[in-house]
Amino acid sequence: MVASLKRRNGFVDFCYWIWDGLERTVFIGTKFSFPARFVSPFGFLGMLTFVVFIILGVSGALLMFYYEPILDRAWDSVAKINNVVPYGFMIRNIHYHASNAMVLLAVLHMYYQYFSGRYKIRNEIIWVTGVVLGTVTILEAFTGYDIIFSERAELAISIAASLTNSMPVVGPTIRDAMFGSGFADFILRFYTLHVFILPIVMLGLMAVHLPRFLVFDVPMVMAIGGAIMITGGLFPVDLGSKFQPTVPPGITVPEWYLTGIYAFLRTMYDKFVTGVLWPALFIVAIAMTPFIDRYKKFSWKDRPIITAFGITGITQVMVTTYWGFYITPDVSKPLVARLVIDPVFFYTIMLLLVPIGFGFSYMMIHLAKEAERKAKLAASKGPHKVAGISFTGKWINWLIIALLIFQVYINIAAYNAALSGMKNFSLFLVGLGLMVFAGLFHLYRHGLNEAKKVPQPPPQQEEPPKALESPQSPAAVPPKADSGAPSPPPQPQVAPEIKAGLGDAKDPVVGKFDLKGP
Amino acid sequence: MSEQDTRGTVTRRDFLRLLGAAGVATTFAPFVPWGQFMPNPSNIVPSKVQVTLPDGTIANVKTFPMNSSEVITYPASGDPVLDQEAFKKWQFIRLPAELGGSAQDVSAFRVYSMVCLHLWCLWKYWPQDGRKRGECPCHGSMYNPLTGKAFAGPASLQAPPSNVLATLYLEADDKGDLWIKPAVWNVNENGIVGYGRLLKT
Repeated sequence: MVASLKRRNGFVDFCYWIWDGLERTVFIGTKFSFPARFVSPFGFLGMLTFVVFIILGVSGALLMFYYEPILDRAWDSVAKINNVVPYGFMIRNIHYHASNAMVLLAVLHMYYQYFSGRYKIRNEIIWVTGVVLGTVTILEAFTGYDIIFSERAELAISIAASLTNSMPVVGPTIRDAMFGSGFADFILRFYTLHVFILPIVMLGLMAVHLPRFLVFDVPMVMAIGGAIMITGGLFPVDLGSKFQPTVPPGITVPEWYLTGIYAFLRTMYDKFVTGVLWPALFIVAIAMTPFIDRYKKFSWKDRPIITAFGITGITQVMVTTYWGFYITPDVSKPLVARLVIDPVFFYTIMLLLVPIGFGFSYMMIHLAKEAERKAKLAASKGPHKVAGISFTGKWINWLIIALLIFQVYINIAAYNAALSGMKNFSLFLVGLGLMVFAGLFHLYRHGLNEAKKVPQPPPQQEEPPKALESPQSPAAVPPKADSGAPSPPPQPQVAPEIKAGLGDAKDPVVGKFDLKGP
Repeated sequence: MSEQDTRGTVTRRDFLRLLGAAGVATTFAPFVPWGQFMPNPSNIVPSKVQVTLPDGTIANVKTFPMNSSEVITYPASGDPVLDQEAFKKWQFIRLPAELGGSAQDVSAFRVYSMVCLHLWCLWKYWPQDGRKRGECPCHGSMYNPLTGKAFAGPASLQAPPSNVLATLYLEADDKGDLWIKPAVWNVNENGIVGYGRLLKT
C-alpha cells in the first residue's frame, strides 16, 4: 500500500524516461506546460480547439465503423447509429457538438489573438495559417453534416454545388471534381474529403500553426469535454428526415456558422458575388490584417482603427448570422416571399453598421482608457487587494472527498440512465461528471500549491516531496509564465503606467520588434 | 564569371538550368491528363442510345401518345441503386398538339432533366388542360415544356443559366425509334443537371 503510493515507482520512472526521450524528436521545439494554478483560458483557446479536434477525430473514427457512404444507405446508417448501436447516440452527439465547439473555439481564439495584437512580432505566418485553418474547419464541418444526406444536407449540397459552379473559369471543373456526376458520387467524395483529405490538410497546417509553447490545462480541457456532453444531453442533434427528391422539404437553415452566407444568398443577388466573393473578401481581409496593422503597440486600446475594424466585422457577422436564421413566421405569405431578403434593405443595414461599429468602438476605447486612468488613481492610493476564497487544507481534502462521492453517484446515475434508455440524460450526466472532474482537478492542484506554501516556517521539513516535485516545477512554471497565456491581464496594466509616466520613453521598449521594418 | 560574359550569350550554367527545367517538364508532362481521374466517366456516353421507357419498350414516334410524359434514366448504369439517382432522371415529353406534338418527327419530343433548378426536387410534366407544364412539388417552380425554361416560381427568379433545364437531344431512325445523341455537359450544349443551360436564341 505505502509503497504503491510513493511518487517514484518503476512505472513513473518509465514515463519520465519516455518524456525525456521525446527531446530527441520533433517535439524538442515544443514546450508543454501544465499550469500549476488557474490561468485564463483565453490564452490557450487554440490548444482547446486542438483538443476538440482530437475528440472529433476519435469520435469520428468510431462513427466510421457504422456509417455507409452509399446513396440509399447513408441516412439509414446514421439512423442506425443514433437509434440501434449501443452508445451510438452518445458518440454521434459528441461528434456533432464537438464540431460546433471547434468552430466556436476557433473563432473565439482568432478574435482574442486579433484584439490582443498577437499576430505581430513575426507571428504573421501563424496568423495566416490560422485563418486558413479556420476556413478548412468550417469546410470540414460542412462536409460532415452533408454526408448524413438528410433533407437539410441535400439543400446544403445543392447550394454548395451551385456556388461552386458559379465561380468563373474554374467553377465547373471544381464542381466536376468535388461533386461528381450526381448524389451517388457526391456522397462518396464528400466522405473522402471529410474523413481524410481535409483532416490531413488540417494536420499539415497545424504543424505550421502550433506555437512552441503549449499550455495543456487539464481542468479546462475536461470542462470543455463536459460542456460538449452536457450540450449533447440537453439539445441532442436530431436526425432530420431522409432526403426523398419528390417530397417537399421543410424550411431549414444551415448550421449557425453558415447562416451569415445564407443571409447574403437569400437576397437572391448574383450567386458568385454573394456566396463566394463576399465571404472570400472577409476571409482575405482577416488574413491580411497583420500587413495592414501598422501600430507598434499590442493592446486593443492602442490600436483604435484595427479594433474598430474588428468590432465592425463582428457586428456584421452577428447581424448576418441572425438574419440568416430569421424567417418570417407569417405562413400566409408565399414561401419565396418569406425567404427572400430585400437586398436594398440588407445592404443598407450592412453599410450603416460600419459607421455605427466604428463609433461604438471609439466610444468603448475612450471609456476603457478613462476607466484605466481611474483604476490607476485608485491603485496609487493603496495596495490593490483581490478578494479570494481560501480554504484550509483540511477543508480542501473534505471538498475533494465530497466531489469524489458526487462523482460516484453521477456514475451510477449515468449508468442507470443508459440502461433504461434515457440516452440524453446519461450523456448529460457523463458531461456533468467531466465538469466535476474539472473542479476536482482544480481543487487538487490548488491544494498541492497550498500544501507547498504551508510548511514555510520550518523549511527543511517536507524534503522528499519537494525533491520529487522539482523536476516538474521548473518545466511547468516558467513556460507558463512566458507562454503568454496568463500575461495579457498584467500587460495592459503595466504598459500604460510607463506610458503615463515617461511618455515617449515607452516606444523604444515596445517597438523593439520594429514592425515597420523590412 | 564577369558581367560581359553573361550579356547576350548563354552560359554553361544557364544552358544546364534550361536542360534541368526541360527534364522536369518532360518527366511530369504525362501526368497532366491524369486530371481526368476526377470527373466520373460513367456520366459520359460516347455513342447514341435508344430511349427506353420504364416498361422496357423503345419510344417510337408513331406510337408514343401526344401530351404525355415518361421518366427515363440516362445514362443507365444497370445498377438499381445507382439508377435511383435523381441526376439520372429525365422527363421524356411528347408535346401537346398545339405546341407541335402532332409532328411525326423528333421535333414533337422534348427531354429535360427532372432535377428542379431551385433546390433539386424532382418536377414532372402535368398534361391536364390549363396546366400542360412542368411543375415542381417542392416550391412550385414551373417549366415551359417547349424550351425547358422556368416561367414561374423560385427557379424562374434565378439568373441564367440557372433558369433553363438541362436537356437531351434526340434523333429518329427509319422505323421511328428514338435515340439520345451523346450529351456534352456544359451550359452551352446539353446543360448541367441541377445547374442549368444557356438558352440559344
